[in-house]
Amino acid sequence: MKILLIEDESSLRESIITYFTDEGNICETAVDYKSAIEKINIYNYDCILLDLTLPGGDGMEILRAIKKINKKDGVLIISARHSLDDKLDGLNLGADDYLVKPFHLSELKARVTAIVRRKSYDGSNIITFNEIQIDTQAMSVKIGDNVLTLTRKEYDLLVYFIANHSKVITKSAIAEHLWGDEIDLSDHFDFIYTHIKNLRKKLVEAGCKDYIKSMYGVGYKFENI
Amino acid sequence: MKLATKYNRVTLIASIIVFVFTGVIYYSVIHYILTDKLDRDLAIEEDEIAAYVKTYGKLPQAGSFKEQKVSYHLIDPDRDFERRYFYNDYFNESEQRIEPGRSLIRTIEVNGKLYSVTVTKSRVEAEDLVRIIFLITLSITIVLLVTLLLINRFVLNNIWKPFYGILSQMKAFNLADKNDIQIEPTKIDEFTELNAAVAAMSLRVKQDYRELKSFTDNASHEMMTPLAVINSKLDTLIQTETFSDSQGELIEDIYVAVGKLSRLNQSLLMLAKIENNLIGDQETIDLDELIRQKTRQFQELLQSQNINLKTELAGKQINMNKHLADMLINNLLSNAIRHNYKGGEIYIHLNEKELTISNTGSDDELIASKVFERFYKNAASEGMGLGLAISNQICNLYHFKLNYTYQDARHTFKVSF
Repeated sequence: MKILLIEDESSLRESIITYFTDEGNICETAVDYKSAIEKINIYNYDCILLDLTLPGGDGMEILRAIKKINKKDGVLIISARHSLDDKLDGLNLGADDYLVKPFHLSELKARVTAIVRRKSYDGSNIITFNEIQIDTQAMSVKIGDNVLTLTRKEYDLLVYFIANHSKVITKSAIAEHLWGDEIDLSDHFDFIYTHIKNLRKKLVEAGCKDYIKSMYGVGYKFENI
Repeated sequence: MKLATKYNRVTLIASIIVFVFTGVIYYSVIHYILTDKLDRDLAIEEDEIAAYVKTYGKLPQAGSFKEQKVSYHLIDPDRDFERRYFYNDYFNESEQRIEPGRSLIRTIEVNGKLYSVTVTKSRVEAEDLVRIIFLITLSITIVLLVTLLLINRFVLNNIWKPFYGILSQMKAFNLADKNDIQIEPTKIDEFTELNAAVAAMSLRVKQDYRELKSFTDNASHEMMTPLAVINSKLDTLIQTETFSDSQGELIEDIYVAVGKLSRLNQSLLMLAKIENNLIGDQETIDLDELIRQKTRQFQELLQSQNINLKTELAGKQINMNKHLADMLINNLLSNAIRHNYKGGEIYIHLNEKELTISNTGSDDELIASKVFERFYKNAASEGMGLGLAISNQICNLYHFKLNYTYQDARHTFKVSF
């Protein structure tokens, strides 16, 4: 997929680019209002990651510009402003999602993947990873021909893993993804382990390879074997 | 005691003392003058009688004439006495009644016989005069006192009006409020000065407060970006795959700390927001449904701690911001879980009037007066000590009352709507 990252903080930009640029993703960047507007007018992107506080102009204006020229690009706002008004304004103006800084790169990736999937032309609701097939519309999972019965949390976890496959995902990122960042679960990561154990068991029992790897205490990795 | 009342009391007492004192003096002086005049009239009469006796060698005719009465009595020659004045009552024949009088009695010798001569004049006129003067004085006094009271009451109240105006504004003064203190113009210098001082003070305080607030706000905002950088760098770092388990643990600790810091930041921003009343968008919320949803969200956490949750929820609709309602329930519920022990209990009760969340936990009662302060927490707590401060602010915003009690080994938080 082709992504435009509009962000003025260079360290953050680098991290995001590193995380996204592999498996054929193209990640372009714009560091200020002017260059962002230029790029938007010339190219098409699958998803635009938009920071709201930019040198030279307000990110909201860029969003307005995108919608004004009838671009179908997905837009994900990333902002340090944890303000409901901004969030609502952004979503009302046609942004697809809103992520508050600081965020986990895995969360960003999962959200971008979801936006791109929804926006894609073939309207495909199917996520495929080797023998795993997920129908996001019906929220059903098949391993080959075996239909898998997953709980809501296990399903979310699997989709999250596949969106971030080959990446190490931290336990706190998983906790925040599954339970939201309102709950401080840092003392209770042990029950994330239960969910992962259950998911792993169900996948393997259905004939799937064991893709989930525990990574040196920090987190997990869903990796092609 | 109000200033006007105090002032009234002092002036009233002072005026009464002055009026009584001057009244007594006034009365005595007038009384003295009138008596003196009567005495002089009596002396003239006496002289006339003495002259008559001298000229004719006999007493003039005794009798009553107008307001005057003369009488003689023969007395023993050896019982002579000094002439003297005295008060008495006598029978006024022309008026046919007993009247108060002033008399002069003396002895006079007529042809070798000693007579006592009594000349009496009526005091009625003098008394009447004194009475009228007294009445006039009394009524003037009363009129004066009443006027004084009325002046005190209306004029003083009127004069003090700007004071009460500024006082009520100072009472209503709220740092977070957008309204400044409104100065009512007054002609009285003291109040003009007071108004100016209060206005200047409120402006300065507000300015300081705004600066402090925007500092917190900006600091929190500015911290978000470096936090985002740390987080993203950590995310990138762990992709490099060359860690031992102990290094992994270190990284996880950093993650947890960064997570805490960003939550702290968000809480501070949220507090500032609620305090500045920047929350709009009220909607009708089914509180019972929200609580059910939250308990589902916390289910795994409850199960992992073996906490027994009992709920008793009546339907209750509430008008507030959805996000804040969410946060309030979230805070109270997650506190009840965090400060519980394995196998403990949580009881949630909701009715039309109040929401009660009580939980088992440590045996130490929290300090009820401090529990809603920012950064208050007991030593064992892992939290930041902002959750309850935020909850309290949310309740204040919607005029709910949040309080804490500890009874029967249960910590109870109650929201009264």
